[in-house]
Amino acid sequence: MANIFAFAEARNGELRKVALEAVTAARKLADSTGGEVLALLVGAPGISAKAEQLAQHGADVVFVCEHEGFTQYNPEATAALAAEKIKGGGYRAAVFTTSAQGRDLAPRVAAKLGVSLVTDVIGVELAGDVLTVKHPMNIGKVIATVDIAATPAIIAIRPNTFTPAQNAKAGRVESVQPVGDPSASRVVVKELIQGGGGKLDLADAPVVIAGGRGLKAAENFKLVEDLADAFGNAAVGATRAVTDDGWRPHSDQIGQTGRLVSPDLYIAVGISGAVQHLAGMRTSRTIVAINKDKDAPIFKVADYGIVGDVFEVVPALTAAVREARRGH
Amino acid sequence: MRQLRIIPEEFQPALPTERLIVRDPLDAEAVPMDVVFVGGGPAGLAGAIELAKLVKHDNESGGTLGEIQIAVLEKAPGLGEHSLSGAIVNPIAFRELFPEMKDSDFPFRAPVTKERVYFMMGDRAQRIPTPPTMQNHGYYIASIAEIVRWLGEKAEAAGINVFTGFPVASIAMEGSKIIGVRTAPTGLARDGSPGSNYSPPTDISARVTVLSEGTRGALTQAYLESEKIGSENPQIYALGVKEIWETKQPLDSIIHTLGWPLPNDAFGGSFMYPLTPNLVALGIVVGLDYRQTTLDVHELLQRLKTAPLIRQYLDNGEMVEWGAKTIPEGGYYALPKRRFGDGVIIVGDAAGYVEVASLKGIHYAMQSGIFAARTIFEALKKNDTSEQALSAYGSLVDASYIADDLRKRRNMRLAFQHGGLYGGGIKATLMTLTGGKFPGGKIDSHADASVAREPADAPRFVPDGKLTFSKLDANFKSGNATRDDIPSHLIVGQDIPPEVATLYQHMCPAGVYERDGDRLVVSPANCVDCKATDVIGPRWTPREGESGPRYRLM
Amino acid sequence: MDVRFKIGADGTSIDDSGLKYDINDFDAWAVEAALQLKEKAGQGEVVVLSLGPDSVAETIRKALSMGADKGVHLKTDKIPFDGFAIASALAAELKDGGYDLIFFGKMSPDSSNGIVGPIVAEMLGLPCVTAISKLDIADGKGTAKRELEGAQEIVEFPLPAVLTVDEGLNTARYPSLKGIMAAKKKPLEVKPAALGDKKVAVKKLELPPERAAGRIIGEGAAAVPDLIKALQTEAKVL
Repeated sequence: MANIFAFAEARNGELRKVALEAVTAARKLADSTGGEVLALLVGAPGISAKAEQLAQHGADVVFVCEHEGFTQYNPEATAALAAEKIKGGGYRAAVFTTSAQGRDLAPRVAAKLGVSLVTDVIGVELAGDVLTVKHPMNIGKVIATVDIAATPAIIAIRPNTFTPAQNAKAGRVESVQPVGDPSASRVVVKELIQGGGGKLDLADAPVVIAGGRGLKAAENFKLVEDLADAFGNAAVGATRAVTDDGWRPHSDQIGQTGRLVSPDLYIAVGISGAVQHLAGMRTSRTIVAINKDKDAPIFKVADYGIVGDVFEVVPALTAAVREARRGH
Repeated sequence: MRQLRIIPEEFQPALPTERLIVRDPLDAEAVPMDVVFVGGGPAGLAGAIELAKLVKHDNESGGTLGEIQIAVLEKAPGLGEHSLSGAIVNPIAFRELFPEMKDSDFPFRAPVTKERVYFMMGDRAQRIPTPPTMQNHGYYIASIAEIVRWLGEKAEAAGINVFTGFPVASIAMEGSKIIGVRTAPTGLARDGSPGSNYSPPTDISARVTVLSEGTRGALTQAYLESEKIGSENPQIYALGVKEIWETKQPLDSIIHTLGWPLPNDAFGGSFMYPLTPNLVALGIVVGLDYRQTTLDVHELLQRLKTAPLIRQYLDNGEMVEWGAKTIPEGGYYALPKRRFGDGVIIVGDAAGYVEVASLKGIHYAMQSGIFAARTIFEALKKNDTSEQALSAYGSLVDASYIADDLRKRRNMRLAFQHGGLYGGGIKATLMTLTGGKFPGGKIDSHADASVAREPADAPRFVPDGKLTFSKLDANFKSGNATRDDIPSHLIVGQDIPPEVATLYQHMCPAGVYERDGDRLVVSPANCVDCKATDVIGPRWTPREGESGPRYRLM
Repeated sequence: MDVRFKIGADGTSIDDSGLKYDINDFDAWAVEAALQLKEKAGQGEVVVLSLGPDSVAETIRKALSMGADKGVHLKTDKIPFDGFAIASALAAELKDGGYDLIFFGKMSPDSSNGIVGPIVAEMLGLPCVTAISKLDIADGKGTAKRELEGAQEIVEFPLPAVLTVDEGLNTARYPSLKGIMAAKKKPLEVKPAALGDKKVAVKKLELPPERAAGRIIGEGAAAVPDLIKALQTEAKVL
């Protein structure tokens, strides 16, 4: 009967999706031990209103710390508080996420507790005394199965891997005090700047639409941009052939000598699928290819393919995606 | 209708000697070296190792030379990464360089035990008796990349400064003397202006510069041209395209083939060697004086692989590396008349020491490096690095097996230029049987670029991605990760007609040139430095370090 | 080169025969950041510290060729996966160094864990900012930028501090020929690494599963509805 700790990440007074993922993963572990999930949520006064969402996803208890000093991410104060709560609670494991914040926070907490941790965890299993996780090494080319002997086992799960699941629990809110004075932290986040002008970066975008020579001319990239627009959370990429010709800037080039991307959905428009290009996107979760040549190598790598004229298929797809996303 | 004939040299720009040779004084901050080897292949490394050994012994026995700074400048990011060969190696030069070692200490994979030669008719293989020139008993199968890395370790251990990722862009000359070299700048933007990561060229002064650039060396060509050093016949070249496969079917013999898929009027053949325990190296070599604009050596290799003889070793296997490189084939009469000068010695493939009939060059390269080292050692002791002092190198080569072997087989390759496979084959056989006496004299040869080519129908090649590969996919397997926005290092002629674009597209094994509609599209980042382009197409010039292929097993 | 890894005979490490190790990009950016600060200040010393087997000496030499002044090699036969153990050894070495700034790369591609820098900072009791993509140091204080998902943080911190470096901070310089020659004469101290206890252990390594074969949904615009359905119900990305 072991309890599991979960850290709920928030930004600008809202829970981030990774917070729900962490609670979901913690719930899965707790269910296998017959224990409880206790989540920690910190933020500016008012954040406690978000505790309910954590309860919906399986938190039995939500520790809430409301303080002006947590308006922005406060690494030292957050780490100190998390470590304190974990130390006292006899947890089997503590779940963080491998977000930018999680990568910063989780190692600090582990060090304070005198234990190690594993980040970018894509699978987790608790069998008796042993917590075993799966962690991609060598930039994803090798998967390691790692045993964590220490208690608590600190893990940071990979975002977008543990789908948030509704599993309503009591979610009893407990108000907690920060450790020391958060405004005495040496490291101070002065400002949070929201992402530049709505243009998603290739590295972060959950959806990437890439265009190749099959688009025939630079101005036809509008088709790709419209499709990206229809998704709402997509970035636009290009092949080397197209950036060499100057249709798109080099920073848009996806491939072995360009950007490496790993989105949830990758749509290749008018791209034949040279190995150099594939090297830049082959770890994408789902790959869709649209090309008029049925022998194009891209179809060997794509999960779903449409053989056809991109000038017909892409506008139809754009309209269908817009329709499907209506009401999201 | 008049058949279109293309003569490549009509579209080839001249060698840019004004770039390859600098005549202003070296930078005041030039790095002072005693001897610089341009190119870290077997010739350069053997030379450096032998020189370091001679200096060390001399100092230890009370000589007054003192510390001699030796540098090897290699353009590849790592030693061996731009080296490619079959290879079957005659160990003679290794034994000369390391007399204290046994053959089993050398970086060879296995001794040659069995060998088979086939004549291909279509994809059917007919076994034929091994021609005497191709007997390899007593030799070893090796990877030249492994040999170079091994020599590199020995060089580093001997205190030689080995600089990888430093291409030499120009030789520095004062009158007819080479006084040093200048490396290529890095971090240039597409238009040639310094980018954010710009690093300027470095000047290096040297008392002797050894040109060990390998096949079709740009600096060697520039030096010979500026000093008006010619040869009896122009140098001619073949292009080799090679793949390394992980195999599930063990190969216990070395294999050579002649005939299909080469057309009868093209010179060349293929090889397949086991790299124990579970790799095979296979490749095809074709003379660049081929007659069809659509002849495509990479595609010929892909087609060859479909023959049952070859395919049986590749099915269920995996291609792990691909590469390409030219080989000088002109032999004895194509050697430059003088291969040394004021402050310079030319060694290895750059000098043309390759014997085509037996497909050998590595031991000649190393031996010539050793001769250069001995000559330079004496010159340093006398403090005289003039042409006269370095002429001893020429005498050493002329009195050695290098000159002897090349002279014996001097007309074999050339016979093919005039007789094709059958006529040439007969002449070649006669030559072997008579130890080079008949046919005697010298057969004239033409430079590859002056040989006319005509369009011919080329069968459509569709790679299957498992046994056969497109040039782009193959290029990826060379380890080539040259940055895409690198400025072009290729000098293309003006107004290239579409038919010449077709010639370039098929000539280049790496996919640098493409005919798109009627225009020529150039992707310089694809270049693997094989130098075929320099022979019959746009001129090749040195580009920034860290460019090109990264061969591990070639 | 797109390396295809092979699992070693022991099943818990990769077979690195025939592979060449080199400084990783994050570490190169970290070294570059230190060199730029020293150049800007016109004085100071850049020390490069690394932990690992013999092959690590070459990586330290590369940093010395870039311009670092001194190298320290903490020798160990095998680099453990456990970053805590590594951090213990590094912190012990760094403790009395009197450094104004300690730079780490954000993560090592080998372990792909990214934890050593912040753990060392905790062990040394120093302020720490991770994954910086911009840096300014003035008057004993620092300002850094961190990239988040769709946003950026501006962070202030006092010196001395530990910083981990991400892409975008700078472009690492290539060693010059002179730099390479000078590096040969720079001091490189070798000591045994005092690794901490290993608290996590790799039990097994395997190659990622091959992608399942895909399918052609159909031809032309008519295939779009089926694609949407597949993306919604099968792939669950829409």
